[in-house]
Amino acid sequence: MGRVLNKVELTAQAAGAIPLAIARFRDGHAAEDGRLVRAARNGDESAFERLYERYAPVVHGLLLVRAPRPDVDDAVQDVFVMAWRRLGSLRDPAAFGGWIATIARNRAVDAQRSRANLVELPPDLETPATASDQLEARAALEAIRALPGAYRDTLVLRLVEGLSGPEIAERTGLTPASVRVNLHRGLKLLREKIEGRPLTPEGRRDTGNRNE
Amino acid sequence: MSETDYLWNRAGNADPDLARLERLLSPYGHRATLKPLPARDPEPSYPRDRRIYHALQALTVAASVTLVASAWWFGWGVRSAGWRVRAIQGVPSIAGARVTGASTLPRGEALTTDAGSRAEIAVDDIGTVDVDPNSRVRLLRAGAGERRLALDRGRIHARIAALPRAFVVTTAAATAIDLGCAYTLEVNEDGWGQLQVDIGWVAFAQRGHESFIPHGAVCQMGPGFGPGTPHYADSPRALIEALTILDFSSTEDVRRTAALDVVLATARRRDALTLWHLLSRGTVSERARVYDRLAVLVPPPPGVTRENVVRGDSRALDSWWDALGLQSASWWRLWKAPWGG
Repeated sequence: MGRVLNKVELTAQAAGAIPLAIARFRDGHAAEDGRLVRAARNGDESAFERLYERYAPVVHGLLLVRAPRPDVDDAVQDVFVMAWRRLGSLRDPAAFGGWIATIARNRAVDAQRSRANLVELPPDLETPATASDQLEARAALEAIRALPGAYRDTLVLRLVEGLSGPEIAERTGLTPASVRVNLHRGLKLLREKIEGRPLTPEGRRDTGNRNE
Repeated sequence: MSETDYLWNRAGNADPDLARLERLLSPYGHRATLKPLPARDPEPSYPRDRRIYHALQALTVAASVTLVASAWWFGWGVRSAGWRVRAIQGVPSIAGARVTGASTLPRGEALTTDAGSRAEIAVDDIGTVDVDPNSRVRLLRAGAGERRLALDRGRIHARIAALPRAFVVTTAAATAIDLGCAYTLEVNEDGWGQLQVDIGWVAFAQRGHESFIPHGAVCQMGPGFGPGTPHYADSPRALIEALTILDFSSTEDVRRTAALDVVLATARRRDALTLWHLLSRGTVSERARVYDRLAVLVPPPPGVTRENVVRGDSRALDSWWDALGLQSASWWRLWKAPWGG
């Protein structure tokens, strides 16, 4: 598999096929989530697809910093299939965002356990073009994974998944102020890690802001 | 501070290092579309009065016994919980658990193969599906009636001996409906793929686009476009390449005229299969051009006119299909509705 598929894909790209764009949402995010969940419970798959569009980047980011790299894409699908099948168990439809984030974190734990005795597969090759860029990108991603939890999650959503600060707040339940702090401090720690300087005393003590 | 603003909401100027980080890391971000969903299990409901609950339980058990007995008597299949799986090479996995010999793929779960593994799935008693390396399939529906598998990525080879529509494979871009056949279906992570039929027929459908693929023919598919136009594997190379442009471009694409020129100029009598499918696609002027060429290769039967074909008259199209000598339209129309898509 490869030659014909690549030709089909390249031709279509040249023909102007545009991949799915990440949506931007208005206020009343949680209320909209509730409406979509109720519609999906009634069998409306398009409503669930809308929920997927809204939360797949968040789920993907949370898994990317927790689960083995080769498992992430499959794990994203597993999380949403599980959510689809268990929608009836969600008591507050408006709490879909926090609920699916919990499913994602649990799925990451499962992925780590099942990988314990398996050989790591080669890394995903859909990464930056040049070899040096690839190395630098992988080092940056590993540095993000090594950050304290709240900084790690917020930074991956901003730098990898491309969500803005307001969008991160909207979809994670963190206050905008917490997200700002996590982004600013997390980026500072990330730079220190990448540049090889020792963590500052602040970095050693600080675990990030979680609205707690 | 401009960097803080940019970090927060991309306002202002980006620090070069921050912009570089974004550029390096964004390829790792989420890209995939949602794969086909399994059927949802019905939500349980429990009456408040426990006596009513227990009475209902007893009635349910009695009804189930009766139903199972009836199913046995009438020879119906009882809904199976999963399909048997055998590791052919290496160690595939089911829901994260390693498969080292024989196992079962439960409904709703995924079978995954890595670069060194292959597996064989027994589709109840109607056939088999071989799963190639680097593939992932999920069992959506099993048992009597329609059996449905989802191919998330990779390649499978299906060998099915059953009534049409007994076995269906869905992908992100299209659904393959078995009409009694053997075929190979492959798809990549983004939903681009191809179906090739070795024996019999396969119908390929998504959102109103249909393709009927006989043995020796191939059909590509793309996310957002659905199934492409079938062509024979031995069709002229120029025709196949031009067809890709027609299948996966918008109707405003300036290359379409030249692409259609190539298809019409290189089509043989055998490629009437391709031209017939083009009669239902593209713009009105494109369909008219296809009509003119197909009419030379396979004269339309009485009652089939340029006007009614270009208009999309299904009886006219079916009648002309019958004239191609491939398979009667009435045969696959019987099995057409309802297709899951």
